[in-house]
Amino acid sequence: MKLFEFSEVVRYLPELWVGLRFTLLLVFASLAIGTVIGLLVCFGRLLGRGLLVRLCAIYTTIFRGIPEAVLMFWLYYCGPLLGGVRPSSLMAALVAMSLYVGALLSEIFRGGILAVPRGQAEAARSLGVPEFWVWTSVILPQAFRIVIPALIGVAALTVKVSGIASTIGVTELVFQANVIGGQSYRYFELFTAVGVFYFLILFPMSMIAKGYERRLMTRRK
Amino acid sequence: MERDQKPAPIVVCTKVCKRYGTFVALRDVNLDVSKGEVVCIVGPSGGGKSTFLRTINGLETIDSGTICFDGITIPGPARNVGLIRREAGMVFQSFNLFPHMTVRKNLILAPVRARGLSHAEANERAERLLKRVGIASQIDKYPDQLSGGQQQRVAIARALAMEPKVMLFDEPTSALDPEMVKEVLEVVRELAASGMTMIIVTHEMGFAREISSRVVFMVEGSIAVDAPPEQFFNAPSEPRLESFLSKVL
Repeated sequence: MKLFEFSEVVRYLPELWVGLRFTLLLVFASLAIGTVIGLLVCFGRLLGRGLLVRLCAIYTTIFRGIPEAVLMFWLYYCGPLLGGVRPSSLMAALVAMSLYVGALLSEIFRGGILAVPRGQAEAARSLGVPEFWVWTSVILPQAFRIVIPALIGVAALTVKVSGIASTIGVTELVFQANVIGGQSYRYFELFTAVGVFYFLILFPMSMIAKGYERRLMTRRK
Repeated sequence: MERDQKPAPIVVCTKVCKRYGTFVALRDVNLDVSKGEVVCIVGPSGGGKSTFLRTINGLETIDSGTICFDGITIPGPARNVGLIRREAGMVFQSFNLFPHMTVRKNLILAPVRARGLSHAEANERAERLLKRVGIASQIDKYPDQLSGGQQQRVAIARALAMEPKVMLFDEPTSALDPEMVKEVLEVVRELAASGMTMIIVTHEMGFAREISSRVVFMVEGSIAVDAPPEQFFNAPSEPRLESFLSKVL
């Protein structure tokens, strides 16, 4: 028996494919929901006042601070005690990841907006440009450029965090590899394959983002 | 005062006060500016010149007093600030061009979004104004491809694109290399000749003397002297102005 039997990877490809699809679902859904949460919380903090600002700050602190595993377990096992509903493991993982990603993104968005020089909004306002266009034409496009590298970081983190969902039984990549490994003892091949899959998800994402960033830079030279 | 002989004032500031905590930035500032006048505000740094200029278009709020701009008053209904800003062009010390837009887009944004001009009209206006400030050939470049002097001329054209009734200049040449000061002042001079009403905060004493209808000396948050340029520079009546002029002239 060879140390690394490539045919074993091929043999279990259908199961891994199931896992990959769940991983992608978790990653893209939580990034999408997290972006919406992040934007709402960010603007709550920047434009709101009083209690709203404090609530948004508390949200960010809590969900950025709690380990994602704890949050997932908590939602999965304590959900029934609180609301009487038992979330599916997928739902618990998705909610936990979205809350986490939302907290990360809200701070990144806020930082990006605050990094746009004050004079930019002042110049637009001094021209009488309505507030909606001050934000959409002047502040946000510049803030977006600033946060691109940080967004790549969050995407990478989300991919990694999705692996934790295996612990509450979501049949994503790590879970599948674990189960098949338990039957076949082909852990080496399987987890190598899982690593490669993760790389294949992340690499194109960061390439696209880097390419976009570079295009923005060179266009101005 | 010879106010009766002047045309009706377009900017009337009455007892404008502004505090930052316990620091009084502006105390009872009164200033009238008539149509076609060019008023230069000079004085030591920290004297409240820029703060005062920025209260006129609502970039700084005021704690008491009133500002009446062409019949629109602040404090007043919330929309008044927006109404004033459309009629008051401002040029900043640090240009504040939008770096992610070409020069053309910098000039088109406000006329389209704040005045409701069509894209074609705004574009035609942008091309005409850039010709006027002498940089028509740079229209499709980005701000960071231009020199400081060119950027400030674009900023002036951008403000003019709203066809403002008054232009506010906040130290327009202070961030420029010496050799570029001239080209910007040339544009301001041309504007003055065209009859534009202007309020200019500046450290360029020679320029203030040459271009102003009145020069205002601001120190410690209030207006200490408000006089025609000859009187202002030749016969300073105020000890603080005298000492200021002896340092800068």
